[in-house]
Amino acid sequence: MPDALIILLCGIFLPLFPMSMVFNAILDNIKLAWLRALLLITWPLIGLFVILNSDVAWPGWLLPLALFTSSLYALRILTLREVNQWSGFLATSFWGLLWLPVMQETQAMLLFAYALSMSVPLVLLVFLSAGLEQRFGAAYTGLYGGLARTIPRFSGVLVIVVVAAIASPLFPTFFIMLDLVVETVVDTPLVAMVLLLIWLFWSWAGARLIQGLIVGRASDVKMTDLDTMAISFYTLILLALAIGGVYLSGVIL
Amino acid sequence: MEQFIIVVAVLPLISALLIQLFSGRFGRGIARVSVAATVISFLVSCFLLSWALGGNDPQAIQIGNTSTILLFDPLSSLLATIILGISLIVHLYSIRYMAEEAAYGQFFVLLDLMTAALLFMVIAGDLITLIIAWYLVGVFLYFLLGQDTRSQTAYRFAFWTLITYRIGDIPLILAAALLYSAYDTWSLTIIFDEIMANPYAHEFIGLPLTEVVAALIGLAAFARSAQFLLHTWLPYTMDGPTPVSALMHAGIVNAGGFLINRFAPVFVHSGDVLNVIFIVGLITAVFGSMLMLTQNDIKKALGYSTMGQMGFMIMECGIGAFSLAIYHLFAHGVFKGTMFLSAGSVINSARKDDGIPKDELYTFAVEKRPNKERQPWILMAAITLAVPLAILIFSHLLIAQDYFQKQGAIILLFFGWVTGAQLIFATYRMRTQNIWRLVGLSVLSLVIVVLGYAVISHAFDLFLYPDPAFRVQLYSAASIDLLYFNVLVVIVALIIVAGWLITYYAEHNDYRRRQQRQRLWLNFYALISREFYISDIYTRLTRSLLSISGQLNIWLRWL
Repeated sequence: MPDALIILLCGIFLPLFPMSMVFNAILDNIKLAWLRALLLITWPLIGLFVILNSDVAWPGWLLPLALFTSSLYALRILTLREVNQWSGFLATSFWGLLWLPVMQETQAMLLFAYALSMSVPLVLLVFLSAGLEQRFGAAYTGLYGGLARTIPRFSGVLVIVVVAAIASPLFPTFFIMLDLVVETVVDTPLVAMVLLLIWLFWSWAGARLIQGLIVGRASDVKMTDLDTMAISFYTLILLALAIGGVYLSGVIL
Repeated sequence: MEQFIIVVAVLPLISALLIQLFSGRFGRGIARVSVAATVISFLVSCFLLSWALGGNDPQAIQIGNTSTILLFDPLSSLLATIILGISLIVHLYSIRYMAEEAAYGQFFVLLDLMTAALLFMVIAGDLITLIIAWYLVGVFLYFLLGQDTRSQTAYRFAFWTLITYRIGDIPLILAAALLYSAYDTWSLTIIFDEIMANPYAHEFIGLPLTEVVAALIGLAAFARSAQFLLHTWLPYTMDGPTPVSALMHAGIVNAGGFLINRFAPVFVHSGDVLNVIFIVGLITAVFGSMLMLTQNDIKKALGYSTMGQMGFMIMECGIGAFSLAIYHLFAHGVFKGTMFLSAGSVINSARKDDGIPKDELYTFAVEKRPNKERQPWILMAAITLAVPLAILIFSHLLIAQDYFQKQGAIILLFFGWVTGAQLIFATYRMRTQNIWRLVGLSVLSLVIVVLGYAVISHAFDLFLYPDPAFRVQLYSAASIDLLYFNVLVVIVALIIVAGWLITYYAEHNDYRRRQQRQRLWLNFYALISREFYISDIYTRLTRSLLSISGQLNIWLRWL
């Protein structure tokens, strides 16, 4: 396969702008939650698989483009209000950064772990988003609000999932971001600064998403909250993610 | 001993977990678990503090095979006790204060998590634990401030806090990454030992690494301790519950002072950075105090008062008086915590009876009626200038003979002198029958305060930095060229003395160019009442950034 085609393929699956729009267009058009989840998990893995099985001399412009893609989507998340779109943009922003460890020839298993670290909380968010669509007809910030009072257990889980997605401690993405900064700070301090700025934008976007959903007066309409089974499911996955984060920190830092 | 150290750190976490699991079953009684855990942690921390006071060597505990290290040295043992003491009071206060909150259990979970994060922050013996705790303090504070999920305003300002804290995380993470890259370890003890052995072994972008790291740590401290230009979050975060305000103003906001102290072995080789820290602290102290005086909202006034105090704390670090900054944060924490927690009952009782005696202090301070009959102004001016200076010099000579060899000490004395003189000047203007009695009482109170301050700060110095050579090194690192220093001291002293003399003279002769002064004053007041337009500028910048983001999304069709 010609190098240009491989680069194009990798740019679609490990998103590089403007190829990144393909993934977001597909995600936007899928209405089934489990299919969205599947897409979030498999998409970067396909990209990594292609990269690891190709023998391409990566052009010098690829890394700046990856950083640009990540920064662009980090900036664009700030004004997103639709939760699924939000998940897609955050995934694009994070996966773009995976080009850094790819260029540093990080082990394949670690690269797959990196990709899944972001996919897992976003998959949970996609399921929560489906829950919102089921209850309110749309998963949209600033539309109804007050979820903390209307469905408190749901809100609690939502908050922790968002906190996990925006690379907070002790979740794996936090340690990955820390590792990326450590790896770049001496030789390319500017890249480290851009990484930290992207990270800051994620926090900002996360806070806006949380505020747009949970803050406000309780709805007069009674809504069913998450049951014990669902709570246990989310708690177990988040706990596993946090333990995975601590384990990953021991491996990479 | 190791078990005790782990108990202090882990108990609040266990309490948070228990409350989360059982709050549904035990209802509001679950708060007792939180209080009990805090009491036990506090008692154990007191024991550990007494152990550290006994002169025992610092303990560093590595958790399993991880890079996590818990460090129990004088600084961490003292701060852990302070944090737990304040947290305990806040816990006790919250039991009834938060009783009508829907998310009562969740509040105590967050309070325990916050206590744990603060504890891990001060006992962190490695950079990763420090960064994690530092980061999490911001996250937990965001949710504590937004405890009332109905209030958009509370969340709006909680967000300001979060984003400022996250901005402050950036330099800390950069500093940690640089230190790790240079020394190939996360352990603070090893890094500090290597820095002390060879401070200029590494460089970064052509500068000594110690200076770069010190500058980054300073920036992180500025954001956390609300220094000028990074302060806007502090006065506005009053929509959170009162216990959270108390915890924030008494404990969390002091983290900047702690961080600079923790990195003292880096700062001791970064004199230029200390000078910048001094200037930033000074500007913050002046602006904070100025903004505090012009607020008509008492809570915002308290917020700006904290900003001013944080300015003083950071300024103390900037002159090399690191342990004094710790004493300051402790004293300010107790003082401000009391003010916040008693604010409600004071307002409540003041509604029934203001309780203010209509004495001479009242006529002077509230009714703004200064005395018309004056003592000879030259005599009073001489007393005003000489007495505080004499008190300060004698009290410090009692503590240490070489005190006046340090520039930092001179600066502190200078501030003490200005404050003392201001006190006597205010006394001079008061409406009173017996001016000499009042002056006598003022002088006596000044003697007590100065002596107490000098003795206690000296004790803190001996406890936190037992190595006299290191203490001297800290002060000399913060020093500037002696000639410049002396010239600066003389110029500032002359300006202040001239200002006082002019005021004395003007008061004595009732000489006022009223109209001209009033116009100038009004312009200045307008500027201060808009808080120098800093919040407005930030709001405008934020809106611009969001507008760019929105525009990009439209152009790219939301894909």
